[in-house]
Amino acid sequence: MPIDVTVVRKIAALARLRIEPSEEERYARELGGILGFVEQLQALDVSGIEPTSQVTEGARPALRADVVCPSDVRDEALQGAPERDGDYFKVPQVV
Amino acid sequence: MSTPLVLESAEALATAVKKGERSAADVTRAFLAQADRTAPSLGTYLHRLSDSALRDAEAIDRRRAKGETLGALAGVPVALKDNICVRGVPTTCGSKILEGYRPPYDAHVVERLRAADAVIVGKTNCDEFAMGSSTENSAFQVTRNPWNLDCVPGGSSGGSAATVAACEAPLSLGSDTGGSVRQPAAFCGVYGLKPTYGAVSRYGLVAFASSLDQIGPFARSARDTALIQSAICGRDARDTTSRGDARPISLDALERDLTGFRLGVPRSILEEAGEGLAPSIRAAFEGAISAYERAGAKIVDVALPHARYAIATYYLIAPAEASSNLARYDGVRYGLRHPDGDLREMYEATRGAGFGREVKRRILLGTYALSSGYYDAYYLRAQKVRTLIRKDFLDALAVSDSLLLPITPTPAFKIGEKTEDPLAMYLNDIFSIPASLAGVPALSFPVSFDASGLPIGLQLVGRPFDEETMLRVARAYEREHDAASRAPAIAVAGGGGAR
Repeated sequence: MPIDVTVVRKIAALARLRIEPSEEERYARELGGILGFVEQLQALDVSGIEPTSQVTEGARPALRADVVCPSDVRDEALQGAPERDGDYFKVPQVV
Repeated sequence: MSTPLVLESAEALATAVKKGERSAADVTRAFLAQADRTAPSLGTYLHRLSDSALRDAEAIDRRRAKGETLGALAGVPVALKDNICVRGVPTTCGSKILEGYRPPYDAHVVERLRAADAVIVGKTNCDEFAMGSSTENSAFQVTRNPWNLDCVPGGSSGGSAATVAACEAPLSLGSDTGGSVRQPAAFCGVYGLKPTYGAVSRYGLVAFASSLDQIGPFARSARDTALIQSAICGRDARDTTSRGDARPISLDALERDLTGFRLGVPRSILEEAGEGLAPSIRAAFEGAISAYERAGAKIVDVALPHARYAIATYYLIAPAEASSNLARYDGVRYGLRHPDGDLREMYEATRGAGFGREVKRRILLGTYALSSGYYDAYYLRAQKVRTLIRKDFLDALAVSDSLLLPITPTPAFKIGEKTEDPLAMYLNDIFSIPASLAGVPALSFPVSFDASGLPIGLQLVGRPFDEETMLRVARAYEREHDAASRAPAIAVAGGGGAR
């Protein structure tokens, strides 16, 4: 699967990841190499095989009692904010 | 000459503290002094907690003086990989994007360690967001292998492996997604356990690939591994994948002999590594099989026919899950922000500046594998192959009691040797990844040394929630061989490599 810089730019935009133009060629080459390697899975017959998204066998949905558990960490949580306004996380203007 | 305190087992130290033969403060001071001496050259820690560790140890001593019964890890220092949250303590995951972040809560394993009266001594270096096999992807520093400072300690939990190998702490925790506890354990000559998926709560472990991530311990003996695993396992409502099936391990059970034991050997997997399998690893593997036969075990040939597809499967599933998990680093709630234009530009600039090359590579790969038009061909297909790999293991473990296989194709490699070729680095994970995909428990244990003095480890794989059997098998080897009891020269002040 050849990956060119156009594809790298498209995925980077989807991932909200800035890639320097000088790095695009290298990522294209590396991703192409890895995708070429994983191509081997196409040779395997997986018809009728269920996908595994969770290995915990026979697990019933683990539900806890529906009770309020106050965490009371608002101030501590806000302390990590790069920018805040009172009790709010502040972001650049959206609209 | 008596054994230096830092070479004592966690079990012996906890027993001595409980009996009042040693104080927790003295034990903690000895390990802190050891780390003062060796950590600067090894680069094991991103953040040390010497002051709070000593305060915690003194509090444990006061509680003992008042007649309280102390926990199983009384006064035992434990180091944590820097992707495990401790309230108010910097937690970076080895990434610039989390520089300055102090979590407002403790991980479940931290609560459990404190409940067992362990003393937390610091946060260890790791590959950024646990992505790597050498700890060279840390944004902050290199960690060196205590057995040879020119070599990597393995990764991603390289700091946690090296700190136990260098006797800076008798125990530590790491996380294992595709081998990140077992591989560095082998490179550093210590025990490293990846518990069954669901055995240990990940609450407070920074997520990488959620269907694979498990927290696991490092120790210098099978019994010490059992001791800390027993302290951290069990059900926690805050991680819905955690299960009550994980029960404490009986130390007495580890001493049972191997008469009638069926050891499964999947020889065909050795061929998957081809030329890459070092003769020293092959010799250690064959030697261990002979040792187990002599100890009374029956060797059973088993096959893992789909294990050869494990790396390809893993490098679709793990990056896909990572690209989703790492979407949360957006410069809004914590860590780095690069102010740049509008909201979207801020996201892109922050993530572009905050993530390193390997993390970016995996986010791109995962985003691609999940993107419209490719999902079925990549992610969904990989999940189906995962089903086949898991079935291979359960079938093999139906006719045997544990499996023995290598954990790394070579002993520790040189710093800088493999950083230029990501695919070559990934191929080293051939022996660790299959058990991760299967969700079964796996243990890396030290068996010998190569001609240059680097440790060699092998791997045992067990049935779900049967960590005890693997530790019993490793303990049987440990009783007859001294690989586990040796310490690197750097750990022994004034020279001398063995005790």
